[in-house]
Amino acid sequence: MAENSQPDVTKDIPKIDLSDSIREFSGQNSDYYVDTLSQIQATGENLNLWNKAALLCGPAWCAARGLWNLFWLFTIAELVALVQLGKGIWGDLGASKMAEAEQLTKRAHDLRLEAGVAGVTGDESAESSAEIAMNLEKAAELAIQQAQAAASTWWLYLIAGIVLYVVLRYVLGKFANRLYELQYSAWRLNKKIASGFSMQRLTIALVILVILVPLTLYRFTVSSPVEWLVDVPVDNAYYTNSANALEGWFDRTAEAGKGVFDGITAGAQSVLDAMELLLVDAPWPVVAVFLVVIAWRVASIRVAIFTAASLCYIGFLGLWEASMVSIVLVGAAAFFCILIGIPLGIWFSRSEKAYAVARPVLDLMQTIPPFVYLIPIIAFFGTGRVPGILATIIFAMPPVIRLTALGLRQVPSTVVEAAVAFGATKWRILVGVELPLATPAIMTGVNQTILMSLSMVVIASLIGAKGLGQEVLTALQYVAKGQGILAGLAILFCAMMLDRIVQGRFQRQEDQ
Amino acid sequence: MNDNEKDIVIELKNAWKIFGERASEAMAAVESEGIGKAEVLEQYGAVVGIADCSFSVRRGEIFCIMGLSGSGKSTLVRHVNRLIEPTSGEIYLLGEDVMKLSPTALREMRAKRIGMVFQHMALLPHRSVRDNVAYPLEIRGESKSRRWDVSQHSLSLVGLDGFEDRFPRELSGGMQQRVGLARALASDPDVLLMDEPFSALDPLIRRQLQDQFMALSDQLHKTTLFITHDLDEAIRLGTRIAIMKDGRIVQIGTPEEIVTNPADDYVRDFVQNISKLKLVFAHTIQTPISEYKPVDGEDLSQSPRVSQDVDLDYLIDVATNTTQPTVTTDESGNDVGVVSKDRLLQGIRDGK
Repeated sequence: MAENSQPDVTKDIPKIDLSDSIREFSGQNSDYYVDTLSQIQATGENLNLWNKAALLCGPAWCAARGLWNLFWLFTIAELVALVQLGKGIWGDLGASKMAEAEQLTKRAHDLRLEAGVAGVTGDESAESSAEIAMNLEKAAELAIQQAQAAASTWWLYLIAGIVLYVVLRYVLGKFANRLYELQYSAWRLNKKIASGFSMQRLTIALVILVILVPLTLYRFTVSSPVEWLVDVPVDNAYYTNSANALEGWFDRTAEAGKGVFDGITAGAQSVLDAMELLLVDAPWPVVAVFLVVIAWRVASIRVAIFTAASLCYIGFLGLWEASMVSIVLVGAAAFFCILIGIPLGIWFSRSEKAYAVARPVLDLMQTIPPFVYLIPIIAFFGTGRVPGILATIIFAMPPVIRLTALGLRQVPSTVVEAAVAFGATKWRILVGVELPLATPAIMTGVNQTILMSLSMVVIASLIGAKGLGQEVLTALQYVAKGQGILAGLAILFCAMMLDRIVQGRFQRQEDQ
Repeated sequence: MNDNEKDIVIELKNAWKIFGERASEAMAAVESEGIGKAEVLEQYGAVVGIADCSFSVRRGEIFCIMGLSGSGKSTLVRHVNRLIEPTSGEIYLLGEDVMKLSPTALREMRAKRIGMVFQHMALLPHRSVRDNVAYPLEIRGESKSRRWDVSQHSLSLVGLDGFEDRFPRELSGGMQQRVGLARALASDPDVLLMDEPFSALDPLIRRQLQDQFMALSDQLHKTTLFITHDLDEAIRLGTRIAIMKDGRIVQIGTPEEIVTNPADDYVRDFVQNISKLKLVFAHTIQTPISEYKPVDGEDLSQSPRVSQDVDLDYLIDVATNTTQPTVTTDESGNDVGVVSKDRLLQGIRDGK
């Protein structure tokens, strides 16, 4: 049997000696680490290796050895344990209940006085006041009892604190060497990773601990800490003054830029009007047939059937006009997003600097709650459909910009180089090579933009854009659950219709 | 000499390319102090792509540039059509100073004078094979019917009739590269730049395409700059070969010169395992007939006679059929030299 089996080639492989590099990595106390890290690497098992330094010094050891993540993790966890300990030893555990009882007693006392006065004057309220006062006194008594009960649980906190603290140190002492071994492996790849024992890091860690620990203990264990620790001690004037300054700026800008804002409004309005003429003003059978035929020709027969079914849903529930208004709104918003977004995306794919500046702006556009920019939009453009569209554009444009830039960056440089080698101009390369190759990414962006536009119709209706959003809003105001769900589904169907038609066009190109 | 100069199609003079933000400083230091590649990297954080490269390619020649990965051969070929701008040096194409061309003139030169084939084909995936081949013509603004005619002809040259209306992804790697070649030929350029065109293909297909390319080259006589990392390929195809190492050209010569007379140990290492049978000719190894002393039993009058320009392969065939040494003759049939069997064996081994 043994002769037939493969010879064990691994047996004769010489062992690599890492002790010098581990020595270089660990600095102080290197013999110990050479020994333990080699053992960990040799066995891979959880050896019974106690790191006494880590066990005794805890987070300070982590910092001195450059394991900053571990330092923060254990600092916070140990703080939690220390807070429990502090509460158990000197904390006033019944304090909040005691304060409650005090208040109740005071209120009861006041009522008794009132009842006394009322009794003298012969008022009818005397009796009821006395009754309320009695109830309050009872409640106060109960609170005092609870406070006493809470105060008697001090030993629970003490034990919990001690147990947690011991467990944390046990875990750190047990796993410190293994984590240090991981740090060593990482350090081999990247020599910038902290290594050795550093007095500087130790000092920083101690300063942090000296500041953090007493403050935290004080805040959590004293029943009424000083005011400046609870809230940042600043004057309210900072807030009001900044807000006033911004408000003034908005007013002035709205006044100064009236011509520009009116021009933008007029431009958007004309696109809206044209689309409205097509979808809202035209007789509904014409529009329905038009949409189904478009879906069929542009996409496929399946999309056409889906479109017809969606239109039936909308029509039978009497949401036709509202839906068409919403589609016009979304269509116009998506139109502007694409019109502005794709050129911006092209620019950002070329210029690293421009993209670096634009990226935080795009993040802002996507993350700022729409209600925040609804306010300045109303200031500049008033209410109605156009500001609704503008709010939608702010929210929905980033994906098409991002994905255009991404798609263009991913065009293989070899293909572009070939076009250059055959003497193509930059414009020709963009139109003939880069944009076609980036189409999948760009279409994903367009898809995202359309869907995000539809999610904005409800919010846009807050500033006077009509349509399905208004239906949902009304339903919300009157808590009309059924109406809200039906209108919401109509929004979903509109979104899917638009998306399938646009995507279908592209997918058919792909299939060819 | 004058005739020769007219015949030079591509010429590079002392071309340098240094990559990095401080390339021009590094270049100045190279010129004034003559610092080397390592110093440039150390002092300026810049990388020398090609260093002091000069060569010229004559009309109709297939000029192979051979070197290993990172030797700068792909960088070098991109200087000819200025896909990469040299840090210093002169480049001439058909007698024109390429460095002085305006952007428009440069584009025109790329569109009309130069066809390029790439290692990774670089076909446009969204266009049909025909539209890929016609792309250079489209850039030049040719009419559609002309584009179709030319692309059809160009595809038939590379043996791809009937594939016009496919997409590149429907074709195998070898066929895709033939489309790439057809595209380069479509604009009927004076110069073909081929950047490792066959390197990504498997050996059998590579061999096939090499044969096809040689046949095509015999037919069209295009001046070709051919980049390869494969010395066998360079020897098979090249009229002359330049060998590159670390951005420098270490030797330029005919395949025979390279094999029989390597300039340094680097080249010698390369040519060691190359078969010399087709590269070394009788005149290289023959002993002049006046110096030859026949040994016992030899009678030169009985010897077979061959031209002194036959290769070793042929000499072996002749020598196996006789006991006598082989006598070589010049064009007019006079005996000029003798190749004994010992000498032949030595020639096969050493190439000289």
